[in-house]
Order: sequence, then C-alpha cells, then structure tokens
Amino acid sequence: MDRQQEFVLRTIEERDVRFVRLWFTDVVGSLKSVALAPAEVEAAFSEGLGFDGSSIEGLSRIFESDMLLKPDPSTFQILPWRGDEEPTSRMFCDILTPDQEPAAGDPRNVLRRQLDAAAEMGFTCYTHPEVEFYLLDSEQPDANGQPVPADRAGYFDHITGKVAQDLRRHTVNMLEAAGISVEFSHNEVGPGQNEIDLRYADALTTADNIMTFRTVVKEVALAHGKFATFMPKPFSEHPGSAMHTHFSLFEGDTNAFYAPNAEYNLSTTARQFIAGVLHHAAEITAVTNQFVNSYKRLWGGGEAPSHISWGHNNRSALTRVPLHKPTKGGSARVEFRGIDSAANPYLAYAVVIGAGLKGIQEGYELSEPISEDVWSLTTAERKALGIKPLPGTLHDAIRQMEDSELVASVLGEQVFDNFLRNKQQEWDGYRVNVSPYEVQQYLGAV
Amino acid sequence: MAEPAARELIASGFQEIERAQAFFQDPQLAGLDAGELAGLLKHSPDPDQALLLLIRLCERAPSAREIVAHGGECAVGLLRLLGASQALGEFLIRHPECIEVVTEARREDASAQDLREVFFAAVDADAEAERPTAALSEDFTAEDAGLRLRVAYRREILALALRDLTAEDPLAYQPLASRQLADAAAGVIDAALAVARAEVQARRQEAEQVDLAVIGMGKCGARELNYVSDVDVIFVHAAPDGLDADAAQTAAVDLAAGISKVLGSARGEPGLWEVDANLRPEGRDGPLSRTLDSHREYYARWAHGWEYQALLKARPIAGHAQLGADYMAAVEPLVWQSSTREGFVADVQAMRRRVYDNIPASHADREIKLGRGGLRDIEFTVQLLQLVHGRVDESIRAKDTLTAIEALQVGEYVSSADAEQMSRAYRQLRLIEHRIQMTNMRRTHLMPEKEETLRSLANAVRPPGESRRATGEELVSLWRSTARDVAGFHERIFYRPLLSTTAVLSDDEVRLSAEAAQARLSALGYSDAAGAVRHIEALTSGVSRRATLQRRVLPAMLGWLADGVDPDGGLVAFRRLSDSLGKSPWYMTMLRDSSVAAERLATILSGSRFIADMLEHSPEAAKWLGDDAELKPRSFEALWTEVQNSLARHEGEAETAVRLVRLIRLREVLRTAVAEAVGVIEVDAAGRALAEADRVATLGALRVAEEEIFAGEGQKTRFLVVAMGRQGGREIGYGSDMDAMFVHRPVAEDPSGQQQAEAAQQAQKLAQRLRQLLSAPVKPAVRGEYPLQLDVDLRPEGKSGPLSRSLESYEEYYHRWMEVWERQALLRARPVAGCPQLAEDFQALIDPIRYGPAPTASQVREIRRIKARVESERLPRGADPTRHVKLGRGGLSDVEWMVQLLQLQHAHEVPKLRTTSTLGALNALIDEQILGPYDAGVLAEAWTLCTRVRSGNKIWSGRLSDVLPTARRDLEAVSRWCGFGPGQASEFEEHYLRTTRRARQVYERLFYED
Repeated sequence: MDRQQEFVLRTIEERDVRFVRLWFTDVVGSLKSVALAPAEVEAAFSEGLGFDGSSIEGLSRIFESDMLLKPDPSTFQILPWRGDEEPTSRMFCDILTPDQEPAAGDPRNVLRRQLDAAAEMGFTCYTHPEVEFYLLDSEQPDANGQPVPADRAGYFDHITGKVAQDLRRHTVNMLEAAGISVEFSHNEVGPGQNEIDLRYADALTTADNIMTFRTVVKEVALAHGKFATFMPKPFSEHPGSAMHTHFSLFEGDTNAFYAPNAEYNLSTTARQFIAGVLHHAAEITAVTNQFVNSYKRLWGGGEAPSHISWGHNNRSALTRVPLHKPTKGGSARVEFRGIDSAANPYLAYAVVIGAGLKGIQEGYELSEPISEDVWSLTTAERKALGIKPLPGTLHDAIRQMEDSELVASVLGEQVFDNFLRNKQQEWDGYRVNVSPYEVQQYLGAV
Repeated sequence: MAEPAARELIASGFQEIERAQAFFQDPQLAGLDAGELAGLLKHSPDPDQALLLLIRLCERAPSAREIVAHGGECAVGLLRLLGASQALGEFLIRHPECIEVVTEARREDASAQDLREVFFAAVDADAEAERPTAALSEDFTAEDAGLRLRVAYRREILALALRDLTAEDPLAYQPLASRQLADAAAGVIDAALAVARAEVQARRQEAEQVDLAVIGMGKCGARELNYVSDVDVIFVHAAPDGLDADAAQTAAVDLAAGISKVLGSARGEPGLWEVDANLRPEGRDGPLSRTLDSHREYYARWAHGWEYQALLKARPIAGHAQLGADYMAAVEPLVWQSSTREGFVADVQAMRRRVYDNIPASHADREIKLGRGGLRDIEFTVQLLQLVHGRVDESIRAKDTLTAIEALQVGEYVSSADAEQMSRAYRQLRLIEHRIQMTNMRRTHLMPEKEETLRSLANAVRPPGESRRATGEELVSLWRSTARDVAGFHERIFYRPLLSTTAVLSDDEVRLSAEAAQARLSALGYSDAAGAVRHIEALTSGVSRRATLQRRVLPAMLGWLADGVDPDGGLVAFRRLSDSLGKSPWYMTMLRDSSVAAERLATILSGSRFIADMLEHSPEAAKWLGDDAELKPRSFEALWTEVQNSLARHEGEAETAVRLVRLIRLREVLRTAVAEAVGVIEVDAAGRALAEADRVATLGALRVAEEEIFAGEGQKTRFLVVAMGRQGGREIGYGSDMDAMFVHRPVAEDPSGQQQAEAAQQAQKLAQRLRQLLSAPVKPAVRGEYPLQLDVDLRPEGKSGPLSRSLESYEEYYHRWMEVWERQALLRARPVAGCPQLAEDFQALIDPIRYGPAPTASQVREIRRIKARVESERLPRGADPTRHVKLGRGGLSDVEWMVQLLQLQHAHEVPKLRTTSTLGALNALIDEQILGPYDAGVLAEAWTLCTRVRSGNKIWSGRLSDVLPTARRDLEAVSRWCGFGPGQASEFEEHYLRTTRRARQVYERLFYED
C-alpha cells in the first residue's frame, strides 16, 4: 500500500464516501463506470477488480473476457454534483490482463504509450482543448424530428439567456470543484452552443479531464432540466461542435515549438510536427472524427476545416499557428482544428501526437502556409495550391486508415483492428438507413 | 652537470636517451649530481616526463631543486609524482607556492574534518556557522573565492597523490585514498555552497532562510571515490512555513546551481569535475532541488527499481546536517523494502543483463570498469547480495563495496577465502584505475594501448623502492588474471552457496540458511523456491563423483535456467535428465568441460517441454549439445543407409525392424528440434530435416510391409507413396501429419482383369499396413515418440474413394472428373517412397496437369470461392482470426493459396515456378517479376513467422496449437523461440499482428485481382 492509496482510503473514511466509481473508457470514448463499496477499494488497489471485458466495446476478444481494473489513486476525486448527502467519488482506471499486463485495448494505455514514445525523444506533450457542445431543451426532438436548442436568445445578441448563464456558471464551479481548471467560456455561434476551454495540461491529464468534463456538463444540464450533447453536428444549418486542440511539445522546461528569430517564431521542430500532422491528416481522420455524423460537420461549412492546409492565424486551415505575445515563447503552440467533441480524446490525441512525432523523426518538409480563406477557393485553385481534401465520409476515412501503418503503430495492432471493425459496423448500419432527407426529396418527386 | 652514461639512463628507465642527456645539461639543474638524479629518477614511473617537468618546475619554484638535491623520501615522492601525473606536475608549475606540500607530504592522512576546515578557510567562511556563508566583498568576489577554493582542492589532491604514490603497500592504501577523495569532494562542495550562498543571498534575501542539504550518491556517497569522476548528488531543501514555497524553491535551485558554477569555473584555475544531479527524482526533467516531502512522495509513488538501488549508497555530504539526516531517515527504509516490491525479480534480471550492455565493442577488451571481469562485476554481485539478504539482515547494509564484502563474510553469506580474494581483486582494479586517471586527471576507465603509457603505469602501481623496473606486459597480465578471477566470482559467490544447504562442505565454504537460499532463488525467478532447494539437494548430496561434479556444474546451470521462461520446470527436467544419465561417464564431464553445452542444455530445458520430454527418453542425445557437427541435419542418404542396415539385421522380424526405423525418426526429430532451439539451423532447414526424417521412416516401414505381404502372396503390384501438402513442400513442423496418396500398378505386363483386381487388393493391404506400422504402438514402446500419422483425405473422391488407385485410374480420374482444387493440391505432390519407375510415371502424368494451361476465369473464381469458404467455415468457433496462424488473417493459408494461384496461372510458361516449396515459389515469383519484391517479402515474412509460431507452440508446450497464445508466459516462450529477447512478449505480439495484417493486405489486393 503506497501513500497515495492510503490517502484515498483515509479520505473515503473521513468524508464518509458511500460509493467509489471506477471510470474507464471504451474504444469509441464512452465513459464506463463500475461502483464499488468503500470496503472493496483496498482489494481493488492490490489485486484489481475483475470484470467481463467482452461486454465493453473494442476492449477484448470474446473468448478471453477476464480483465482487471486497476484504479489510479492519483486521479481520486469526490464528485461534486452528487452533493454532500451521499458523497460519491471516482478514480480513473488502467485496464490490465489477468497477467497484470496493460491491456492492449485500453485507450488510456494507447495514449500513455504514445507519450512514452515522445518522452524517449525528449518531449513532454501538452494539450489545451476548446470543447464545444449544444444545450438542448431535452433529449427528445421536436415534431419535425429536430433537436430544440435550450437558448435561442444567445444566438442573436451577446446578452445570453439567463438559463444558459446560470447553467454555465454552475458547470464551471463544478469543474473547479472536481479539480479541473477552466480557462475561458463563451457562447459559440449556434443557438444553444457553448464553448468551454480546459486549461493547459499534459496530454493524459487533459484526456482524463475531457472525460470528466463531458460527464459534468451532462449532469449539470440534467440538474437544470436541460440536455447537453457533444454530437458533432446536431443541426444541418448551424455549425458543428469542434474540439480544437492546441498542442505543444516541451524539452525539459523550454517550449520546443518556439524559435525567436524564425518565421512566426516556429522552430524546425514545430514545422516538422505540423508537416507530420498534415501528411497523415487523412489517415487519422477516422479517429479524430469517428462518427458518420462527424463528416456532416467537416463538410457542412461554418468554420470546419475540410481541407488539409496550415496557416498563420488562418481560421479556415486545418492546422493553425495562433498569434501569441512575442515575449511569451513558452506559449508557442499549434492548433489542430479537425477533432470534434465526440472523439475519444485518448485515441485522438495519440494519433495527432503520433503523426507530429513522425514528422519530427523523419524530418518532413512543411508546405507553404495558406493565407487565403480555403473555403472560398475554387476546386481548381485548391488543386493548384496542392491542398487535398479530408475524407468525405466515414467510409472514406476507414479506407484511408486501413492502409495506415502510422495509425496501426500508434493505436497498436489490437485497438487498430477493433476500432476499424467497430467503425465498419457503424458504416454498414448507416448505409442501409433511409433518412428523412431522402424521403422528403424522393418520395413525391419520383 | 656531467652527462650521465647512456647505460645509467637505460637502467633508470629512460626511453629517449639523447633527449634526456640534453636535458641533464639544462641550467636549471645546475649543481645537482647527475648520477644521483638518475638514480632518483629510477623510482619515477616515467623518468622522461619527470625530468622535463622537473626542469620547468625549477624555473618557477627554485626550492624544487633543493628538494631533489636533498634526496631521500621527499625527492622520490616529487619525482614519482612528476612521472605519474602530467596534470599534477602542470598544477605545481602553475602554482609554485604549493611546492611546500612536497616536504610536508609525509604528514598524516587528511580527515574529513581537516579537509572541510581547509576549504572553508580558503573561501573565508565559518565552518561552524548554521548556514556558512563566504565573506565576500569587492576585493574578494565570488570568482576570487572560487579560484582560491579550486586551488586549495588541487593542493590537497596533490598531497594525497604524494602519499598514495609513496605508500609502502599501494593496495592497502587504495581504500584510504578513495575515502580521502570522497571527503575532499564533500568538503569542497560544502565550501562552494558557502560561496554560492553569499552570492545568492546578495540577490535574494529569502535565501537566508532556506536550508540546503547535499546528498552524495554513488561512489562519493559510499566514500569510495576515484581521482576524477562526476560526483553524483541529490539536493534537498527546507524553508520556514512562512516563506512562499515557490520563492524557496527558486532560492534552493540557485544555491544548488551555484555550487556547480563555483567548482566548474575555469577562470584562473581549471574547473574541477561535474556535479551531476541527474540521479534526482525525474532525472533531467525534475526540479534541481526538492523539499523533503516532495522527495518522500516521489520515492513512495513513482520511483523505479534502479532508483532504490541508487539510494543504497546515499549519504549526506554537505550543507545542512540535520536536513541531510532527515532525508536519510525518510528514504532509507524504502531501499530495503524494495526487494519485496512487485517487479523486483524482473529488475534484478534486467540488472544482470545490463552488466555487459552499453560497452562499445571497440573498447570491450580495454574496459577496467564495465568489461567482463571488471569492477562492475564485483559491485553488482555485492549489491545484489545486499538487496536479497539485507532486508532481514541489517548487518550487511554497508554503503561501500569493501565494507560490504567484509560484512557479507561475517554474516556467512560469502566464505572468508572468497571475500579475501574479492576484496583484493577489487582494490587491484581500483588501484589501476586510479593510476590511469592520475596521469592526465581525466575520467577514464580504459586500459591504455601505447606501450610507453603501459610501462609507466606498470611502475606507478608498484610501491617505490623496487630494484627492477616493471614492463607493460607485467601490468597487462596482472590485470587479465585479476579479471579472470573476477569473472568467476558472480557464479561462485551468488550461486555456489545455494548448493551448500545440505551438501558436504569443504572447510572454507559458507552454509546458507534455508531461508537465505530460498530468498536468493526467488530473486532469480524460481517461483517454487522450496521445491528448487529440494532438487538441488537431491542433485548434490552424497560423496559420489556424480555429486561432486554436480556441485561444480550446478551453480552456473542455476543461473542459466533462471534466464529461461520456466526456471522451475527446467530444474525439474535437469534433475530427471541427470538421474537417468548420471552414471554415463561423458554426461557430467561434458557439462563440466563445455560451458556452451551446459548453457544450451539449460536454455532448452527451461524453454521447451517438447524437447525436455524427448530428452528424458533419449538422454544420450544431450551429447550433441557439445558438438555442432552432431546437430547438423543428417543427409537423406546417410539416414537411408542406416535404415537399410537395421532392416537387414532384422529381416523377418517386422515389429523389431520397424521399431528401429521409428527410433531413427524420433532421434532425427529431436536432433532437429535441439539444433533449431540453439540456433544451429533456421526454420526452413528444420522443415526439410523433419520431412527427410518422415520420408526415411516411410521408406523403411514400406519396405517392411512389402516384405511381409509379398512373402505370403507374392508381389502382385508396384506401389508408390506420394506426399502432399506441406510434406510435399518439405515445409513441415514438429508433430505434423503426412498428407499422402497411394499409387499402384500391377506387376504383370498387360494385366488381365483378375490381375488388376489382385494388384488393387494388395495395394490396399500395403497402404493399410504401412499406416499401421508407422503409428500403431510397438513393444517395447518407443517412448517420447509422436508417431507419424498418414492422412489420406486428399485422395480423389476423398473419404469415399479407395485408399490406393492404379496409375490408369488416376489418369482417368484427373482427365474426367478433376476439380480445380484437386489440380491445386497436386502442385505440392511429391513421390516419397516406393517404386522409382512408378514415381517417374506418376510425375509424368501429373506434371502436364498441374503445370498445364492457366485456369479459366470460372476456375479461378471457383478457387477464390473455396478459399473464402475455407476461411469462414474451417476457423474453429470463437477463434480470433487475427491470432490463428493457419487459417487466420494473413496466416499460412492466405500465403499458400496466393502462391498456388499464381503457380496455376503461370507455371505452364515459367518452369521456375514448378516447385512444391512455398518459399521457393515465392522466390521464383520475384525473379520472374510476377510479384513485386515488397509483396513477396511481406508474404514470405508472414509465412515464415506463422511457421515459427506453430513450431514454437509445440516446442514450448508439447502440444500442437495453431493459435498465437494469449497467456503471457506462453506468449513469452513463443516470442523467445521466434528470436525476441526476454520480456519482449508484447513487442512480439505487435510484430505478429502487424506482419500478418500486412500479408492480408497484400493477399486481398492480389488474390482477387484479375
């Protein structure tokens, strides 16, 4: 029993915690939870908690279903929205095989492996996500089958509705109480759309925080009689929900992306990182944009990037180098705008970082930055500039990922295989569905 | 001065006589007696160098001439110093005032306290103050203080070197020199802190409240430092509660960094050595200094195994004494708990492997520290024993190696003779190392190569006053013999005592308690340590020659077995083997005399149930381990001759004869398995060797069956056995069946219907008898055999067809009824036994069929459809296709169907493709540019890997399995069989999945392509 574990047990005792939730994530990024009585926690630390892995999407093969959950005591947290009546807490878990080896299918382990690879190259990876989501009146769509935004007022002017304001304040408080620092929050452009930025942290912590964040947002919305969704594109006519993420690499305490005298203060390392991300952007898209619906966002206009390019402070580029104070070399970073809010953060960060590191390792050359608005270019112009499109559908994305050695090595062969299988099933299901759009378009016309 | 005679100079050890004679004329030496000076220089390790330095020194410090003129010990000391160390000679020339040290040098050894006072005086700080601070001023800046401190340090080192070089017994003096070097380093760091403090406090007032303690690690911590070495340290700081933690942190880091600045500055006097803080928590990435709580938390939560091992030598050396003591109290218990931690065994094994890693090959034979038989070997053995036994026995928790050796001897973990020898070897190597470093005051552990450097070194390691000068060779041979002793220590000291819990002991052997022996065995990786102790007892007790030899052999065996996947199983197998072979005179002798054979045996026994089981029944095969020629596959001709001879000797005794044939096959299977296990042959050679063994057995059994049946009814038919499938391609694995078809032809020319029927009847009998002879139990049983099963399902009409058909019947069938998959199967048909003429005719029949025109589009479609059906139907229920080596994704069947389809399409025009071998066909496909080299390479790699995994399953467990194991230990065993290192099972799993995924990609792209 180490000190951290002791601390957890003592807190459970002192705060009279009634339930301890063990959290982990399946391959598509759904949070899974097992509740333990306090008396069972000690055994979970020493031996792990056995569970049937085959019931979890993409975790293990059916015929070897025994898996162990090993709680990570450093992630222990009392869940604030459960109130003081029956205090409930959570810990993130690593998933182990019965041989006590890290389970190859555990997304958290995938990201951890990638960060270890970065550490071997001398880098620590930091990420800073801006998460967008919609607040709806309820989970139920209206009579036309459309979701109903909770807050139409905010869309037209800057005086946001009271409900949304309260709700946002409550959410921020909850997040702070759960130990997650929030950097900035504001209304996005769609009706009922919100954005909350999580503060800079190392990539694994950020990914854990995103999982907690989604839960907090949903819980708080429910408490206010509303519903929150991270669906990539709930409305055809409004912008989708992105999870723009800023990436930076540190060597010890210096920002490896910063070079004082270079163009845009971008170091060679940063240029190679961007080159890697762009070079592999198409093959990682199935992971960063994993649902059928994700492609409605990518290709649905708004500020979504549908083409592979980079630019300095260019909001139409897939990868953007933001302006920052010239004196603050420490804050040099690269913003990847492809990821949507429904991505599995562990896998999405792993593939983006993996692609960037590949660029550094192989010394990729970075193309010219694009200063024009990529959306307003004609197809021929884009061709002339060498700007290629991202996959147009989940199906395209799967095909591109299938041939990607990079994604296979980042995810590991087992997750790679499980993920592709899962996505193929999704596509197969979607393909046979007749949508209201089709009925509306064709029923009468033909 | 008179010029000394050349003979005199040669006797004194000069190498460049003319130059020396010229130097003797130098005005600086005026007034000195040439003969006396030459006589004094005889004691110097390098008289040429000493003379030149002396002349330069006299110019700067005239008193040097007087010292030499005076003669005696002081003169000898000075000249030995100038000959042994160019760097210290230069220092004297830079700082002539330090010459007085030479005459004072006979004073007592310096205590830690003495040194500390000298250094604090140099920087004008009060050594007794709570936070000593150098009294800096405009006239005495931090740089001035640093300069004075570095000079004071070198002056002390100079004094020490003089004492060291004039010691009557340098070996005995070595630990004292090391201790003083460590104390000097500690004192100089402490005084440098006083300078840094004065400087930092001037900038940051809060630093006045911050305490810093410096913890020495490694050799400095253990007080066994070298002349020149990085000094490993860890910093810990404390500040009053009122002070902001970040401000305290910054101040502490400034103080810590200030120490390096003071010691490393080169202004006026070169910097000393690196103060290396990389052993701190989080290494380079961690903060330079931490608070006590932060350290405590780190070690409790995050530290790796090696970090605890590093703490074994930690000791507060400078700064705040109480804080240092608190640090030790916090971390020390953790060190001794570490051996109960998870992963300790793996750490220990990693440590053992690391010993010889990281030495550049070009230096390996010059390394004094890291090479085989180097200092690291001794330190490693000692630390390992401390970690294993120190948890329960506090008396052996000494920090430095020599004290630890003594404690281990007192505690009876090491015999007194061994302890004495180990201690002596350690001091000998350290002494050589010290003298090498002293030469240029550089950090090096390499034995020099140049003859003149070696010569000077040889004289420097000896005490003064020897009448004859030593040669370089003497030093090298002394070093080599010491290294040889050291290389044997680990085995003798770590493993040998495991045997002596009950064995008869000679006088100087130690008796380990049962608990201590079990602790050691557990640390090695034996999971049933108590059981292991019992087996060791059984093997070594008694006074027989056998037991005596076992006591010699077993210590090393225990180590090698422990490197295997299953040490416990290996030890049991070794005991069984030894029980059945113990009386054979060659067995123990071979293990004693051939460490290659013994190591191979250990590797096999702890890594393969299959071989261990076979060896138990055929123990004589162990003999091959010592002889690579014996492990080479026997040629078909040699085997066939042997079988024929056996048959001839036992004509008419079918049972006995066929038993001999099967024994020969078993022997060859074992030979192949052992050869592949120890890396004498590769997987394709193994496949061929196994196929030949099966062929010889089939030939022999067929000969017996024919004699038996023809004797009764006369020969009615000629008979042929045709191997199909992987047997046809000579690509089989251990325990494979033989896919076969039988062909016959009546003996009679132009046979009547009656004759044809009789021939057919006799052929069925032969086929049945052949299968029976090869696989039915015989008496006495062939123990350990996996009998050869003939699988005849591939014949025309499958199970409903007759066992054997006549050649004509085949002809008719193939021309009238044949399905395209049967044509495909014929690609691998190879006659293996029976009538040669019939074999030729059969081949003439099938060649135009299998290598005929390319299949039609509809036939190709049929092949593709069958393949798809096989894939979905034959895979066992619930099996994971990604892990099934035969039918799974990118497995054997994908590759083989791909290759066979291309053979069907191209063999009629490309003769090179007419082969039964998959790899052979793949090579031909590349040569003929039908497949790109990448695609063919991917397929070949997957095919070879799957074949190896299949063999690996059988070899490890003794059971046939077509699935890549999931249980970690099974996977580990298979991964090692496939050439991966220990602990790389996960990498291997990834490798397998990646290789087969790529093969599947190639297959999907090409197999369905028109």
